[in-house]
Amino acid sequence: MRKILLLGLMLFLVNAVAFAQGRVVTGTVTSVEDGMGVPGATVLVKGTTIGTATDIDGKYSINVPAGSNVLVFTFVGLTSQEVNIGNRSTINVALESDITALSEVIVTGYGTQPKREVTGAVSSVKGDAIQNLPLQSFDRALQGRASGVQVRSSNGLPGGAVNIRIRGVGSINAGNEPLFIVDGVQLNNQSNASFTQSNPLAFLNPNDIESMEILKDAASAAIYGSQAANGVVIITTKKGKQGKAKFEFNAFSGETQPMKFLDVLGGSEWYAMRRDALVNTANTAPEANALNAMGRLPSNWATLTRPQLDALGLALPTYDWQREVMGAGRLNNYEMSVSGGDEKTTFFLSGSYNYQEASFRPVDFERGTVRIALTHQATKRLSIETNMNLSTFQQNVPFAVEGSFLGNPAFSASAVLPHNAIYNEDGTFNTAIAGVLGQNVVLVNSYNSGIQRTNTAVGNLITNYKIANNLTFRSLFGLDYRLLQGDNYRDPRTPDGAGVIGRSSVQSDWRTRFITTQTLNWNKTFNGVHNVSAIAGVEYLSETREGISGAGIGFPTFQFRTIQSAATPESVSGFWTGYRRASVFSSANYDYKKKYLVTVTARYDGSSRFGTENRYGLFPSIRLGWSMVEEEFLKNSSTISEMKFRASYGLTGNDQIGNFDARGLYGGGGNYSGSAGIVPSSLANLGLSWETNNTLNLGLDYGFFENRITGSIDAFDRRTKDLLLSQPILWTNGFGGISNNVGELQNRGLEFELSTVNVDKGGFRWNSSFNITKLDNQIVSLYSGLQFLPANPGIAVGQPVGRSGEGAIFAAEYAGVNPATGRPMWLDINGNITYLPLAADRKYYGSSLGTVFGGLNNTFTYKGFEFTTFFTYEYGGIGSDGQYGFLRENGTRLALNALREVNDRSWKTPGQITDIPRNVTTNGGNETRGAGRNSGTAALLKYDFIRLSQLTLAYSFKPSLVNRIGLTRARIYAQGVNLWTYTDYPGYDPEFTGAGTGQVPLTKSYTLGVQIGF
Amino acid sequence: MKLINKAFLSLALTGSLLVSSCDSLLQVDPRQSIDADGALTTPDAMNAALNSVYSKLRSARLYGRDLFAVSDALADVGQTTSNSGRLIGENNNQPGAHFGTWQTAYFAINEANLILDGLSKVEGASAAQLARWEGEAKFLRGLYYFDLVKVYSYIPTAIYEPGVIGQGGVPVVTEGVISSGVALSRQPARATINEVYAQIYRDLEDAKRLLGAGRGVQYGSGPAASALLSRVALYRGDYPKVVTESGLALASSVGTVLSGAAYVNGWRAPVNPESMFEVRFALAEESIGVNESLQSTYTALLNLTNKNSQGGWGDFIPNASVRALFGLSALQIGTPATDNNNWDVNRNADVRAQLFTTGNTVRGAGRQIENTKFMSKSGFAYADNVPVIRKSEMHLNRAEANYHLNNQSAALTELNAFKALRGLPAVTLSGNALLEEILLERLKEFIGEGQRFFDLKRYGRAIVKTTPAVNLAFDDFKILPPIPQREVDGNPNIKQNRGY
Repeated sequence: MRKILLLGLMLFLVNAVAFAQGRVVTGTVTSVEDGMGVPGATVLVKGTTIGTATDIDGKYSINVPAGSNVLVFTFVGLTSQEVNIGNRSTINVALESDITALSEVIVTGYGTQPKREVTGAVSSVKGDAIQNLPLQSFDRALQGRASGVQVRSSNGLPGGAVNIRIRGVGSINAGNEPLFIVDGVQLNNQSNASFTQSNPLAFLNPNDIESMEILKDAASAAIYGSQAANGVVIITTKKGKQGKAKFEFNAFSGETQPMKFLDVLGGSEWYAMRRDALVNTANTAPEANALNAMGRLPSNWATLTRPQLDALGLALPTYDWQREVMGAGRLNNYEMSVSGGDEKTTFFLSGSYNYQEASFRPVDFERGTVRIALTHQATKRLSIETNMNLSTFQQNVPFAVEGSFLGNPAFSASAVLPHNAIYNEDGTFNTAIAGVLGQNVVLVNSYNSGIQRTNTAVGNLITNYKIANNLTFRSLFGLDYRLLQGDNYRDPRTPDGAGVIGRSSVQSDWRTRFITTQTLNWNKTFNGVHNVSAIAGVEYLSETREGISGAGIGFPTFQFRTIQSAATPESVSGFWTGYRRASVFSSANYDYKKKYLVTVTARYDGSSRFGTENRYGLFPSIRLGWSMVEEEFLKNSSTISEMKFRASYGLTGNDQIGNFDARGLYGGGGNYSGSAGIVPSSLANLGLSWETNNTLNLGLDYGFFENRITGSIDAFDRRTKDLLLSQPILWTNGFGGISNNVGELQNRGLEFELSTVNVDKGGFRWNSSFNITKLDNQIVSLYSGLQFLPANPGIAVGQPVGRSGEGAIFAAEYAGVNPATGRPMWLDINGNITYLPLAADRKYYGSSLGTVFGGLNNTFTYKGFEFTTFFTYEYGGIGSDGQYGFLRENGTRLALNALREVNDRSWKTPGQITDIPRNVTTNGGNETRGAGRNSGTAALLKYDFIRLSQLTLAYSFKPSLVNRIGLTRARIYAQGVNLWTYTDYPGYDPEFTGAGTGQVPLTKSYTLGVQIGF
Repeated sequence: MKLINKAFLSLALTGSLLVSSCDSLLQVDPRQSIDADGALTTPDAMNAALNSVYSKLRSARLYGRDLFAVSDALADVGQTTSNSGRLIGENNNQPGAHFGTWQTAYFAINEANLILDGLSKVEGASAAQLARWEGEAKFLRGLYYFDLVKVYSYIPTAIYEPGVIGQGGVPVVTEGVISSGVALSRQPARATINEVYAQIYRDLEDAKRLLGAGRGVQYGSGPAASALLSRVALYRGDYPKVVTESGLALASSVGTVLSGAAYVNGWRAPVNPESMFEVRFALAEESIGVNESLQSTYTALLNLTNKNSQGGWGDFIPNASVRALFGLSALQIGTPATDNNNWDVNRNADVRAQLFTTGNTVRGAGRQIENTKFMSKSGFAYADNVPVIRKSEMHLNRAEANYHLNNQSAALTELNAFKALRGLPAVTLSGNALLEEILLERLKEFIGEGQRFFDLKRYGRAIVKTTPAVNLAFDDFKILPPIPQREVDGNPNIKQNRGY
């Protein structure tokens, strides 16, 4: 942060250079941390406005007027020092790092603000906190770092999707993603990769991030208007700072490991399970039928006795398919940066290479980035600035991102019957796989191929013109360009490719987002006590997205893998879509002696996405603050160092719907007999408008004992009105639904953040930071007095919604197993036992959205050593896990493997109290006239966990030591990610989104790294 | 000050530019869709809109699978293999495991209604074009309504009434919806069963009048409308009309009644010559795919040339009683036994027995005797044109109608003539035994074509099968599927079927 402020501070100070006569004091300001000069530090004569800034080497020279005897040295991020001049003419000071972030500056909407003056609910995560974590996208790194921010990885695909929710779920059918802004460019973070998940935010090397600010309350975000309903995440990248060129080299390397292998049955155990299931079903030849189900019935079976057949079954071998397809993956990261500058120009250049393999080969992620940040002071008034982020990443794609596909290793590895050998004795693939998963996924995996490539350019060009000392004009032009390309090949030697003799699918999808923001910044102080500042601006954004895709089938041999070799084009498709938004906005701050603070903002947005009758919207907000610590009675308190009450109310909008949802359209589709068709695709809704999100926020920032204890408490009531709901339409009327503004959703919550310096003695320091959020989400109303949505009764008044806006769990309650018979039982709506629950027996059981979550960080430093532990946790989410659901069937419906622990619990003898029914083979594995064993709440799981997300041990060599070999800095570190998870979850991992079937689970990783500065 | 002026000026300019031209600035039009208003005003658009109504018949919920395979699974002609776990609930006649044709059929009906509503607004259309659009749209609407009412309601010849009040037919809507106002407010009630059949009659009579011999069996035609009317009348118990319409259909040039080897070969041709109306699968991308296509449902074979090639799931196979009707049992014809090509079946003289053979051992249930009526005849995997009405049915419809009209000799003569086409000896039967023989012939003729369930339903008969053990009495609520709950919840005028 200090680099950003630098420029502004210097500009102010240049004008303030003293005219008075007096003595000249010179010296050097250095940093205790690295012993280097601090360029741009402020040197002020106490009690005056006379000051200067240090030069590139940290040197300064100042005229001290007669009568003044104290100099104040300040620099953002370092502790200020006051020094008595006495009769010295040279004063050198070494500033310590500011451990309590007293003077932190926060990036807010279209500007910056000292943290002390912030009156909204804004969380800040510094780039240092997430440095060197082997995560491909910064959104994943936000997990547990800030209160109110709930982050879940969708799966373990490197560069895969991340589900981020700020203060709950505010929408059912429109998007729930926050607005991401990188260097003033509002990003499109929608992923449209066809063959894997390509998180658009993975374009940025997280180590290039200086800080991330999360605007949580509507009042803070309201200046972003119709796109800010889900909060705003502002990313500021690293910039150069004045001084001689600093080179930084950073490298880490390590490996990823599966966090867990599912404990599934072995070959003979599966045989025994099936045999006993057949016995339960009164089958007269259970041994033979069990062997038959496993494809191991000998041709002479009729001549064998039952014990002989049993012996065959119990001698079946076991092959570990999970360990064959899941394993360690490599992980490498190299980066180099150069930064520096002179009084006029600063620069920051960086390049990076990142490679990571998933636990499932050949899935991986490979990225190269280049970044340039330049600033130049052209004249005293005019400065220009540019930031360019270029990146390309390429991923080897999985068979499928999720799903119960036979060829999907993430599904099949744990579910394939374990007696199937992976390889024949001669080392070739075994292709005679018994059971429903009749494909050798190891073969499938090694024969298929596909890549997904994402090229991104995000950049801006900024001009600042200082019209007057207190009035600045800023003009930003930004671009977010992304090209997605992919191809995927189903090899004709695999079962899925055999029928069509190979299939090649290709995709190209490119989008261009252009944004320009023109702002005026003004500030003035009246009578020394009334501080006023204001921002006014206009903004225009346009986005277009285009794509083509196609598939061809029929390949001469498997060596021909690109689409031009296909005999038959199977499909050809393309699309075009786009939208535009134009806005004016303004904000004004007023404070009285920094004691009473008021901010009002307003934005007026027009968007092409909405109905012609409702195209424009106004988004106002107000924030109030009382900085009690500035009051006389607290000014000299030694206990209370910070105490500020905040209240805010604001309106934001959600425009995350389709670009043409308001239009009544006929689209292409419904081709028949070789000629083209058109089909009515949507109904017109001329009144369609944004969801409005009204948030009331009450907050308190506190600090005690010179801010050794700091933190904040916030309470919010976030109400989303005029939900962009897909209102069901009777199918008899020809459509499924229409986007309409109906209904209301509420998220209430409490957020608590605490940072402490527990010990700071004798060079040993122990810092902690902790945050927790309690969330309460419910639907307040629907439309026409409906208590639930006809098409989706999980969406019901008084019930929460899930993390993707899906409905609450609505299911019949599972009542365990009848101890006498082993039949699974449910409760009907009257609480009576039933074997066949009906729709009317369903009740509500919460949703997939966790209600309590947060993080705990502890850092210990001692003489260059640094030890960090970081825990994240989540509690209160409930739902199903598709993979677990399949395995929980104990192979009764389909010939799939089973979890040992679940099968051990299955009912075996009368009187046994358990929750897993007896295994049977009739009726798809269920009792005749009985519901499926996973019906109702039977297979629901709690998604709760506590995770040791990060463990870091680092050592920084003494600057004096490494100086001798020409280095300014050297640091080595070892890091572990996701090393330990506390949960009783029976599936791979409770952290995922989606159905959970056949998804690549999250991994743990170990890395070693080195950072060198010279 | 000069600078301030300049800056303000530029800002103000930019701002006013943005604001003043906002409406045009914010106008973005889609490029792959057209506005619904005025979409159907050209002949090309009408042709394209009509294609979409046809294409919905391809849905797996309709002729893509369910109207054939779910229907047979519900009836007494087959059993499941659990190879993919599909159709088990339907085969067990479990509550809720049933047809779900409502959504697709009503979407198609709305599109047909929009076409009919738009006829008067088409610019530059010839009278012949107008007649064709109206005729085909009404043919399709009649077909969709028939497929809805036969599924969701009792059939006029056997209505279960005790304790059932005003359950009725299905909602009949004949005006298209394209505006949100109507879409949100129209709440049609269920018409009576008779009203629905009357509407189907009207549509098909209009189609018959407006359409000639048609433009291919993949499109509606006059004779196809007659053939469909023959079946509708049979369901309605309107036997004189069955006789009339069957005669018209048989006399037409559309479709051919095949016999002997030609009948079997008809099932091996891309377009079965027997078809009077069929649903066309013309492009590879229209294939229903490995999970739900008819081929995949009925057989694990990919093709008949190499039985070892891994094909579909083979989820639903003939049961013992059907195997007995055709004398089917597995037969090893070569060695080694592990090679699936070394297996076939024993068959009796019925030519339809040729349509069954052994599958392969790729899937869990092992080698089974399977129905091979659908074998990727369209030239790409898992896609076959689906015959909705074959000309042979006309003989069976007319024989059955004549039986009910007390023309037993005409019925017997027609039945025996039909049996001869299938290589079977003549029978001498009368009274109920004759009816039973006609129904048995229907069963054998339409294995895999979804007729048996409705034959049982229109005679109010129980569904009895041994594998799985089911004895579903006609008064059981599970004879009818539930109307989609969303339609009941969102429409106070709709009464759910009994039991759901």
